[in-house]
Amino acid sequence: MIQSILLIDDEDLFHLVFEDACSLLDMTLSLEALNSSDEADKLFKKWFDERPSADRPECVFVDLNIIGSSFDGIEMIRKINEDYGNGVVIGIISSSDDVKEIEKAKSVGAQFWIIKSDDIEPRLEEFIKDYQGYVDRTSDFKIYK
Amino acid sequence: MISGKDTIEEALRKAKAKKVYIEGNFAKILSKSLPNDIKEYLKESKERDIKARRKRLDVTKQVQKQNSELAEASVIKESLVLELKNALDEAEKLRDEAVEDLDVLQKRTQFELIGLIVKVALVIIVGVGITTTLMYTVAMLANKDTTILGNAWSNLFGILLTNSFSIIGTIMGVKYATEKK
Repeated sequence: MIQSILLIDDEDLFHLVFEDACSLLDMTLSLEALNSSDEADKLFKKWFDERPSADRPECVFVDLNIIGSSFDGIEMIRKINEDYGNGVVIGIISSSDDVKEIEKAKSVGAQFWIIKSDDIEPRLEEFIKDYQGYVDRTSDFKIYK
Repeated sequence: MISGKDTIEEALRKAKAKKVYIEGNFAKILSKSLPNDIKEYLKESKERDIKARRKRLDVTKQVQKQNSELAEASVIKESLVLELKNALDEAEKLRDEAVEDLDVLQKRTQFELIGLIVKVALVIIVGVGITTTLMYTVAMLANKDTTILGNAWSNLFGILLTNSFSIIGTIMGVKYATEKK
């Protein structure tokens, strides 16, 4: 089970869907959802300054287009990986399956890409199976369709 | 794991008595070595939680789906409004062109009528001029009295010369107006 998850997504309804799906799949003990990448950036900056921080999540799911934020999910991943020292399992959760964006995400260090749909649970189930590989950095980048 | 056993057990028994069920991940972090009645209570709490979450998940997904359908409908509506606006603009443009064409047609018809009248008038004047000239010539050759015919002839040519420029101008103007779209 993942100890703590951070979801960064502008859609409040998806927060509920994700929270309930995680709970039904016994995926995590703690889930925090944020609406903007700016908020997440502030938190990561804080966690980075107070290293090692117990509040830092174990796994981060970032939406690709975060409406109302200064930067998108790919830039968020780049910041976490490059500016805030990584240390988390991180990837994109988006309804888009644009190959160019997927390649961009991969290049900044995203470990997975989950495509949002009405039926998110099977994808999350598959993700949980691969999770340890992401923690150990032994699993390759994967797209969950 | 929470382990202050007495406190936990007491709290859970109270909750059970009041039919307050634990929700969310809290049940997952409670110690597993609890009395059977409490375990049963926790099991029921978990089942209720799963049921409630499944229900909420289904409703949320439905709302999410409806939202995306509404968003799609809104996009379609916007494109229809735009299409309608374009069609309206096009219709207005065509109407303006039709009104203009009608105006041109009416003017053209009027100019054609004027042209016809001027041509008929010219034919009559020229016809009368030729007739008068012939009669005047015959009268002179036959040594008849030419006073009336001479006056008529000179008056006629006086009129023709006076008005020739305005007649030619009118004919050319009518020709120009009827040729132009």
